[in-house]
Amino acid sequence: MAYQKPIPLKNQDNKPYWDSADKHELSIQKCDSCHKYQHPPGPACSKCGSPKLSWDSFGNEVYGTIYSYIISYRPFLPGFQDDLPTVIAQVELEGLPEIKITGNVLNCNPDEVKIGMDVQMFWQDINEERALPQWKLR
Amino acid sequence: MGDISNRYAIVGIGESERSRKSGTTPLHMALVAARNALQDAGLEAKEIDGVMSYSTGDSCSSHQLATYLGIRPSYVNDVMGGGSSTEMLIADAVGLIEAGLVKTVLIWRSMNGSSGKKVGRGYDPDMIQEAIDGGSFIIPYGSASPSQWFGMFATRHMYETGITREHLGHVCVDFYEHAQRNPKAFLNGHPLTMEEYMETPYISYPFTKHDCCVELDEANAIIVTSAERAKDCKSKPVYIMGISARECHPHAHYWSDLTQVASDYVAPQLYKSAGVQPSDIQVASIYDCFSWVVLRQLEAFGFAPRGEVGDFVAAGNLRIGGSLPTNTAGGMLSEGYTHGMNNVLEIVRQIRHEYKGTDRQVENCEIGICTGWAGPDIAGAMILRN
Ligand SMILES: [Zn+2]
Repeated sequence: MAYQKPIPLKNQDNKPYWDSADKHELSIQKCDSCHKYQHPPGPACSKCGSPKLSWDSFGNEVYGTIYSYIISYRPFLPGFQDDLPTVIAQVELEGLPEIKITGNVLNCNPDEVKIGMDVQMFWQDINEERALPQWKLR
Repeated sequence: MGDISNRYAIVGIGESERSRKSGTTPLHMALVAARNALQDAGLEAKEIDGVMSYSTGDSCSSHQLATYLGIRPSYVNDVMGGGSSTEMLIADAVGLIEAGLVKTVLIWRSMNGSSGKKVGRGYDPDMIQEAIDGGSFIIPYGSASPSQWFGMFATRHMYETGITREHLGHVCVDFYEHAQRNPKAFLNGHPLTMEEYMETPYISYPFTKHDCCVELDEANAIIVTSAERAKDCKSKPVYIMGISARECHPHAHYWSDLTQVASDYVAPQLYKSAGVQPSDIQVASIYDCFSWVVLRQLEAFGFAPRGEVGDFVAAGNLRIGGSLPTNTAGGMLSEGYTHGMNNVLEIVRQIRHEYKGTDRQVENCEIGICTGWAGPDIAGAMILRN
């Protein structure tokens, strides 16, 4: 069956992130002026306003810890009705704690999810071209 | 802005009916609220020369409202905004009057917040994804509801400070109790016990339906003018002692640093401008789109130190008769929801002693705080006095 959930839309600011994700690789935007990373990416640095930005690759072995989470018992968007309850987490990246990435923690018992748990990124292929970074408990 | 302390006042307040299904347009509801505010102030529509509003694209324009009040104001402005906008527009009104551009300003908010368009109903998910900054990083994961975004902040804050679900429950139970004294509260007749609260199923853990504001169809209006002109009004003026606002974190829906919220920066400026301290505040309207945001703001505005705010609410301080009676009409959790404006109307009524002789009046309250909060990004707040 075709993928029912919303698919990430690429735009001028986020395209490098999603192009990388499609190749099963994590890329994070970095400011060339103040050298801080930022996520979500944008048209300029949200810390110092500099338009000089580049992208750093963090490859396909990405680890982190759960910074915060909710358990969603209602589908607020199409496609989630068959996957309730849904765990939505913010994950703090290992080695880059200033970056938090939102994703679902899949294949787990939602009641067992706790802040501080170790997780690993994996890429869920959602159609022939696109892949969605997701998380699993380590 | 220079020292505006006590030189401006709220002289009129008004509202429309509140319901789940108004069966009418935001313009019709806004006209009702505006006429009620004019009547409260004892002013004619033609005495209004500034009209301002905020919306999230869910309302009509100030131009339309002015047109059908039969007036041609010299200044109209509509801003995109949510929960901190009431305070920001009141500050704008003070600035415009101070600059001599206008004399008396009508500020309003009208929305079919229940029967109109909102997330998950009537909106295309791709449209939401594009409309929200960073939307592609949350929408594909099913995160589209404020209950999920605020829940994410709450879970982390609870983890860091030891706030429990019972503490969230105290906020809900106390505000629902206030709504039982308010015949116009939407949830009047629906009291809530802690036991019921704890047994209610989750919408988005850690929130149940009781932790979320009652989204309704409703309009509110406020009239602001100078202290001098306030003397000619029929109502008892409520003076603005201080007002402050601030932008903070870049992504409202993607808050990754819970150690700071905009209220943390607004609070010191606010108390300085008003010349009072938290201990001087006798009544409060604290923005309550979700139960948890009340707790975080009580910390930010200095009513309880970080880590002790749970004990503060558990001790009954938010109740009428407590040390800081808060959201005494039931707040957005149980009275109604107009993105913060109904809470402003209530604090004005309390400070006027409009409920004198009833169990709704906070006795002898002279100074009150009203906060607005749209998320981690923006905050506005004001201190008012009799
Ligand atoms: Zn920078």
